Formats: sequence, structure tokens, C-alpha cells
Amino acid sequence: MLPFFVDLVTRTDEARREFETNPVVLEAVANGMSVERYRKLLLELYHVVWHFNPVTAAAASRVPDSHRQVRYFLYEHMQEESGHEEWVMNDLQAVGVEPAATRAHAAGIHTLALNGYNYWSADRRHPCSVLGMMYALEVIASVYGGPFASAIRESLLLEGERGVSFISSHATMDTEHMAELRILLNTITDDEARDAIAESTLVNFHHFTRLFESI
Amino acid sequence: MTPASPPALTAMLRRPYRYIRLEWNAEFAALRVRTCVKPIQCYSLAAMGELQRVFADIAESAGLVKHFVMTSDVPGVFNFGGDLSLFVLLIRARDLDSLRMYGRRCVDLVWWMENASQLGVHTTVLVQGDTLGGGLESVLPFHKVIFERSAQAGFPEVLFNLFPGMGAWNFTIRKAGFSVANEMILSGRLYTADQLFRRHLADVVVEDGEGEAALSAVVNSVHPRLRGTLAALEARRVAAPITYATLMQIVEQWTESAMTLTDRDLRLMERLARAQVRKAGGAEEGAVEAIKRIELDTAWGEERTGVTEWAALT
Repeated sequence: MLPFFVDLVTRTDEARREFETNPVVLEAVANGMSVERYRKLLLELYHVVWHFNPVTAAAASRVPDSHRQVRYFLYEHMQEESGHEEWVMNDLQAVGVEPAATRAHAAGIHTLALNGYNYWSADRRHPCSVLGMMYALEVIASVYGGPFASAIRESLLLEGERGVSFISSHATMDTEHMAELRILLNTITDDEARDAIAESTLVNFHHFTRLFESI
Repeated sequence: MTPASPPALTAMLRRPYRYIRLEWNAEFAALRVRTCVKPIQCYSLAAMGELQRVFADIAESAGLVKHFVMTSDVPGVFNFGGDLSLFVLLIRARDLDSLRMYGRRCVDLVWWMENASQLGVHTTVLVQGDTLGGGLESVLPFHKVIFERSAQAGFPEVLFNLFPGMGAWNFTIRKAGFSVANEMILSGRLYTADQLFRRHLADVVVEDGEGEAALSAVVNSVHPRLRGTLAALEARRVAAPITYATLMQIVEQWTESAMTLTDRDLRLMERLARAQVRKAGGAEEGAVEAIKRIELDTAWGEERTGVTEWAALT
């Protein structure tokens, strides 16, 4: 039997590649993007990040005792992610969007679909599905965060971490998270939880790809 | 397939595959595998699982398949080799076990090819496009290797501080000798079909578009003397043995070496993976061109300007 981490990687390979091979993503990683598009991206990301901990909390509250290691992992992860929406807001301010405007921004349809699915799956599908959301977001951040932050910095002539602090810091941080997530995922042995995590990964990659395309 | 086909053959041909397509030639008992791995033509775990299933079916019905033929359905690409983006993911997740498992699965495929003659199967491969790293490693164990002239191949792994660990050393040494293996693996260079032919790594080189005819010619010529050919190939294995143990030992070294790659090496690997995507998407420039730029840059750029593709990645 395959360790679940590599099983998950294999089962969701095409969805991950669909994100990686999307022309909009490739172009952004290679050449950055205009300030208007970057603002739009950060505004959508703000909503993803803002809902990350509530989704995780919803899942943690429903995790059965049989998966208590998942619950503890989620507690720690929430602690680490707490307040990161402020980083996105600071980056937005650096590129000309005031915090009030960020808070007032209405999320796009793909972001709504992404967040909506994550709440629903934590509530109705299986609470472990939240790990699929984390896996997808950490793959995106750890693999593409670094080059994307560099491309943005260069194309918008930003200095240091100003304007890219959220993406840049997550690129490094999520490499650590990926190793921790792998260890946790390999402890999950029941098919119901595994299937829910795989489904959630596929849906998160799908919506994130659409979100990127739409900005 | 005919109405009188044996049940084992019917079952083999009816399996639902996503990344390969099987064709059966009853006249020569030849099974052809056409590969088309999405979104990148490489040895993904899923694609290797399908190939392993085909190999198991052949082994379970000894005598049914007499010729095994492999080609690619992806224009301009035979195989890009290892699943680079999977490697990056597993290395970043420090997943030594999964990386080792990936390597061992590759070796199991190579080892099946090495033992095909014992199963009474003659193997032929037609390479009509780029084949890199693990792609070339997968070609070398075939009994007959046909290249179309524009196809290029090489072991670029050293460019990102790795080496080809799934049979490259063993099979290149057997076919071309130690110094050629040394030159190819340690340089990371790409080779034309003619250069591979001169090094005895390609048995036949034909003009572009003539590969299919060459494939038929090989099967036609081997078929009437199949038993003698296979017996001779078995004797060759005794004369120049390759063991499962050494293949596994090298894969273990490869795994440990992969885990030491730096962020810069991984970025380069990612860049090649993205170049593979461009080529798979139909672009003129792909991984081969990216490798050439890195080679040139490594050779000249640093000395001249101090600015290299490597430096740009940091």
C-alpha cells in the first residue's frame, strides 16, 4: 500500500499539473504581472486567507477522536496562520489599495466557490478534507511562491519584501509546512478520509486555477 | 484482436488505460504500446503503474506475446524521463521513502525489460523525438533501438546536481563502454541520433518519417529467427551481466543524492519541468532548448560575465 502522501500526489497529479501548466500561471511566474492584475490577485487572496482559519476551525471542531492527531495539527496550523490576512492587506497598501477598500472588496465568483466548497466539505463531507485545501495551497505557495514573488518584485519595481511579503514569506514557510503535512497525511489510513482529502485537493486546485485565470 | 483470441489477450487489450494505448499484431504476436502521458510525456507514477500492469499481463501469459514494441504518440517527444515536478514536491516535503519508491518502480520496469528475453519476448523501441534522462534510460534496455534522425537524447541530470539513477550507468557501459558512459552522464550533454549510433546506443537511425517502416523491418527480420535471437541475447546477459542488486544500490544512492539538492538545484529542475510543459503544449522550444542554453551558459557565461542561468535562479 502506498504511503498516503505519495498516493495523494499521484491521485491529484493532473489537477496540480493543470495549475502548473496554465498559460496565465506560467506567464505570471516568468514575467510577473501588471499592478492592476496584482491588486486583483491580492484582493482575492485576502478572502482566501481570511477564511482559512475559520474553515480550519470548522474542520477541527468536527474531527472525530479517531483522528485526534489531525485536530492537534490543525490547532498548531491555525496558530501559525493567524493574522496573515494583515500581511496581504499590508502588501495591498504597498501597491495602492487602502485597508478599507480591501475589507470592502467583494470576492469574485471563483473565490466564493473555493471558500464555499471548503466550508461545505469540512461540515458535510469529512473534516479531514481540510487537509486537501492545505496541501493544494502549500504546493502552490512552496513551488511557485518564490519565483512568482521575484517576478512581481521585478515587474513592479518593488523593493525588498514591500508588496510581496505574504507570497514571499509563504514560499519559504510552506516548504516546512509541506514536510509536516506529509508526516500527518501518512498517518491517515481510512479510505473515507483519504477520498475526501483527495477530492478537496482536486477542487482546490481547480478553483485556484480558475481564480488565477480570472484576474 | 480476432474472435478466436485467447482470453488472456482479450483481457490484456481491454484493460482501461489512460496514458497508454495497446495495439496487437496477430501475425507476429506483437504488442505495441503507444504512450501519451498527460499533461507531460514523462514517467509519472500513474503511467508507470499502467506499464507495470502490461508487463505483468505479458509475464502471466508466457508465450502469448513474442514482440514488445514501444512508441510515443506525442509529436516531437519520446519521453522526458523522470517526473521532475514530483521530484521537487517530494524533495521539498523531505519524503525520502516515496522518492525511493519512485526510483525502485523505475528499476522494476527496467529490470522487466532486461529479463524480457527469458519470457520469450523480443523488445523494440522507436524514438521519434526528444528523450531525456529517465526517458533515455528506459530506451537502453530494449533489444533493438531505432532513432529517427531529428531525435535527441541525453542525461541532463548533472546540470541540476543529480545523476541518472535508474540504469543509465549499467546499460550505457554494457552497450557503449565505460568512457562513453562517463562522458555522457558527467557532461549532461545532448546527443543527436547519429552521435548515439556512433556510440552504439542506437542500433538503427532512419530519416524522419521512416521510423514506422524501420520498426516493421526489425520485427519482420527478427521473427523468423526469434528463438535463436533470444538465446543469443540471453547469452549476452551472461557475458555482460547487469544485476538487480546493483540497479537497486544505485537507486539508493540516487535517492540520497536527490535529498541533498539545494533550493537553487530545485529551481533549475522546476525550470526544466516548465520547459517540458511548453514543448508538450506545442511550442517550438522545450526542455532540450532550455538544457542547451544552460549548457552554453555553464561553459561560457560564467567565465565571461559572471552572470549565469544558475545565478539568475538564486
